Amino acid sequence: MAASSKFVSEWWLQRISAVIVAAYVALVLILLMVYGTPNALQWQGLFANVGFKLATILAIIATAYHGLVGTLHVWPDYVKNRAVLSVLNAYTWVAAVAVVLWAVYILFGLK
Amino acid sequence: MSDTPLAKSRARPVYRNIGFGDLAHYRLPIPGIASIVHRVTGIALFVCLLFLLAMLQMSLKSEAGFEAFRTVVWANPIAKIVLLGLLFALIFHLVAGIRHLIQDATVWLDLAAGRRTAFAVFGISVVLTALVAWRLV
Repeated sequence: MAASSKFVSEWWLQRISAVIVAAYVALVLILLMVYGTPNALQWQGLFANVGFKLATILAIIATAYHGLVGTLHVWPDYVKNRAVLSVLNAYTWVAAVAVVLWAVYILFGLK
Repeated sequence: MSDTPLAKSRARPVYRNIGFGDLAHYRLPIPGIASIVHRVTGIALFVCLLFLLAMLQMSLKSEAGFEAFRTVVWANPIAKIVLLGLLFALIFHLVAGIRHLIQDATVWLDLAAGRRTAFAVFGISVVLTALVAWRLV
């Protein structure tokens, strides 16, 4: 019972995180399409905007979660060796957590 | 039945799960190809996230860092091909994901629609990638 409700919420979270990332990626791609290649001033000005910083960190947290869940589901379909699988799962967790922490540093701690 | 001449002369096919060795002669239908490419692009994007963050940090740290990205990374043909490949992976994963969300709503689930929409996912993502790349190069 508890296990099945965990999978149901995981199913929903995978889709909610996907929609958050999709909205952010669409926004960035539209900006690139409309304005073309940015120069340093435009690029750094965009990332200095607090609203864009918050949208970026939300999108990166959603990306890390979505990538963590998706990747953990895909490995066991191809990797049958349990030791190798453990290493891949550990790498996946470390990478997902590292992405979020590093993004927080880049967006809010740099300089 | 089993000892008729016909049954003896003709090898019966054996059905089982396919492995990597079967890929060369196994004709995967187009929705299956879309499914495996959705997985491969997802893994590739996840594995490359840390490299993308390194480039983001470089581009935001200073004006010199931004210029270094343009002159050292973006000007390198191999790095540019890898980054444009990741752009395709991102766009393909996004478009194929939208197809999945539509299918979650139990729309376009029959075989014909599955084939049509899988073809459309490839077409739309190639065109979108080309458009964005054209604005960036």
